Amino acid sequence: MTSLHKPARPAAEAPFYRPVTNEVDVFRAAARRGLPVLLKGPTGCGKTRFVEAMAYELGRNLITVAGHEDLTSADLVGRFLLKGGETTWVDGPLTRAVREGAICYLDEVVEARQDTTVVIHPLADHRRELPVDRLGISLKAAPGFQLVISYNPGYQSVLKNIKESTRQRFVAIELGFQPVEIETEVVAHEAGIDIEAARTLVRVGDAIRKLDGTPLQEVASTRLLIMAGGLVAEGLSLRGAVESAIVRALSDDPDTVRALGEVVDAILPMP
Amino acid sequence: MTTSDAKSPSRFRFLATYLAGRSLDVTEARPGEVAHTDGRFVFVSAARSVSERRREVLVQSALLGAGSLDRRLVKMLRGRPNVARRYLALEGHRALAALSARIPLAAALCPAGEPITSTADESLRVARGSKNVAPAPEWFGVIRPSRLLGAPAGGPSAKATARDLRLEFDTTDIPESQDDGDTEQGKGSRILGLFENPLASKSLSDFFNKLFGNSRTPSDSAAGGEMSVRSMRRANRVGRNARPLPTPLRFGNHGTPGSTVGVGGALHPEWDVHENRYRPEWCRVIDFPLRSAHDISAAGVRHDEVLRRRLARLGLGPKVFRRQPDGDDLDIEALIDLAVDLRSGHSSPEHIYLERRKLARNLGVLILVDASGSATESDRDGLSVHDHQRRAAATLALTLEELGDRVAVYGFRSHGRSAVHLPCIKPFGHRFDAGSRAGLNQLQPVGYTRLGAGIRGAGEILKTGAGTPNRLLVVLSDGFPYDYGYEARYAEADAHKALEELRADGIACLCLSIGTSTPTDALQRVFGSASYATAPALADLSPRMDELFLAALRELAAPRPRGVRPTRPRVCSG
Repeated sequence: MTSLHKPARPAAEAPFYRPVTNEVDVFRAAARRGLPVLLKGPTGCGKTRFVEAMAYELGRNLITVAGHEDLTSADLVGRFLLKGGETTWVDGPLTRAVREGAICYLDEVVEARQDTTVVIHPLADHRRELPVDRLGISLKAAPGFQLVISYNPGYQSVLKNIKESTRQRFVAIELGFQPVEIETEVVAHEAGIDIEAARTLVRVGDAIRKLDGTPLQEVASTRLLIMAGGLVAEGLSLRGAVESAIVRALSDDPDTVRALGEVVDAILPMP
Repeated sequence: MTTSDAKSPSRFRFLATYLAGRSLDVTEARPGEVAHTDGRFVFVSAARSVSERRREVLVQSALLGAGSLDRRLVKMLRGRPNVARRYLALEGHRALAALSARIPLAAALCPAGEPITSTADESLRVARGSKNVAPAPEWFGVIRPSRLLGAPAGGPSAKATARDLRLEFDTTDIPESQDDGDTEQGKGSRILGLFENPLASKSLSDFFNKLFGNSRTPSDSAAGGEMSVRSMRRANRVGRNARPLPTPLRFGNHGTPGSTVGVGGALHPEWDVHENRYRPEWCRVIDFPLRSAHDISAAGVRHDEVLRRRLARLGLGPKVFRRQPDGDDLDIEALIDLAVDLRSGHSSPEHIYLERRKLARNLGVLILVDASGSATESDRDGLSVHDHQRRAAATLALTLEELGDRVAVYGFRSHGRSAVHLPCIKPFGHRFDAGSRAGLNQLQPVGYTRLGAGIRGAGEILKTGAGTPNRLLVVLSDGFPYDYGYEARYAEADAHKALEELRADGIACLCLSIGTSTPTDALQRVFGSASYATAPALADLSPRMDELFLAALRELAAPRPRGVRPTRPRVCSG
């Protein structure tokens, strides 16, 4: 139960996030109004980092819950547990956030069962309250409470699409991969490598994203590039780092790996 | 295109795509030819090493990426090999130099010195002039204007996904009907009234009446206003993987109950192997419920225990069971309830575990039975191929239904391209009851076998009707497609293509030939892209039916391992 949510205290130092368009302004405005936010974007483009940065900036606690297939509403709201000779109620992460006025971040919410996502409905509209039927009460959300869910369109199957009634309660912010300049800066900062190496990595990532008609399911995310950068910072050659962190991570198919290797070889500096 | 050979030129396809900025494939040129491109493929010279080919790909795709091979420019090079050679030397140098800032490989291969020209037009001017131009290195290859201009523009495209192909109608832009219950419509036409003369004979008016009918056009707007006007744009070029969509048929107007009794249909395309193109809206495929006299005596279906046991393991998803007497995890809710019960002096059974079992069925199967006349040849027991197939279909459908999968059974036969019939024996969502079983057992083989259209029609039903994540089409046929204007290589290629399309749409296919004598190589040509098996009777296949189903479904789940021939499960007939 407790393993479900992260320690709810603000990060010690400001998480590094580079805004691309107006997403920070939108989030700030939504936070002032207490409007729930839906974050869309491909894997590894910085959705979680963005929420962390915003929570820090707003000075609120952040409670993260990762969605999975068996996530029940009791996992979110809370349940009775035995303590000594009697049962005691233990708040779930969502209830805690509602009481404390924290930001509750439900990562990959569509992975959860659809009946689970329905418990957030009364929180996500003008009522801003969480009915806890086990206790027979309805909790009014504390002023700082904000609901943030993330969602990766096109990645889930048709069966796991987000419900229209859920979707329409949210302010949507779409995050994409950052422009080359910003991404270079991010990779250099996060991985701790020089700008030149970061620029090469971003160029590789960009080339893979722009390939037309590849059999790849996912493209090289910023997270992958940072991972490759991390390997470089640990003393690996650029070529070796890209091969193990990007090319082999993206595909298992030897044919595709070879073809990607050709692209990478052309872009990396000649040995 | 997909080979596991490390030296195969297809390894450069992403590099070429990246450099050219559009989808591009790489293949081997005919022996003796030097490297060139047609805008869709880069042809690299045969029998060269990987690094030599790499630079050929580099320069050819760089030319495409730099716009040096635009149609406008290439037209000027037609029939002037000398100019083309000088142009290639200039432009190759320019394109590589432009890339070398980004691509170290280009920088390493770029000829020394600054390029003389800065735009393609300038290069063309210089090439046509008399200025001395250093000859291009041999690996630059050649520019072949005829091939560049002959190929359709656009390049090879990505395969269309199911989402692209989904048929959608935007109903919001249909002009609203003007019909607001205006009673005047029922009356006769005012214009016709002018011809009516109470005194004279009504023959003139009757004549017009017969000619034009006796009512006004059903709307009050100007003539023709009742017709909804739409426009449609046709693309004049299509990509390599483009394929026509089925066009749904409308039976009569809204008043007729065709759709309510389950009659559906569509015009499907057909693949013409000789022309290497689709014939759009070629076959009319109609599916309709099969009506049969309910002779329940014919409803017997043989049970096959082996088949049942084999198929029971298939198509399962995990399902969590709460409050179980034992399992791998504690169900905390149940545990607390039990503790509360015990504390309050009531001892309930200790069902406090969670168990995850693979029990949720998530497979939808459509069984397509060949009901054509070609299936009438009989074996030594006097059972025709059709009898074998019928029995196999019944046993399969019964077994799958008992296991909780969604099953439909359709027959198929054709009389030319305008009448491909799919009689529905058991739709999805109905029980396989005595009536359906009798219907299946009394299915009479008549007509011909337009296999491709039948498969496309069944695929469409499976797409809309199954509603499960895993979908499988089981075709029971002798693998001998034949119809008017549909035979031999043409028919085989069309059926093959239809199966390929289905797999591209995420539907697994399994073809079973039971009790037939069709040679294996013919089956290979027809069912080549799908899993298939032949056997004298279904019972011979039962012990390995799970493997067959899985092989068919697995092909969709993950890319097939390269270099290994796809498994072709086969049971040789004895």
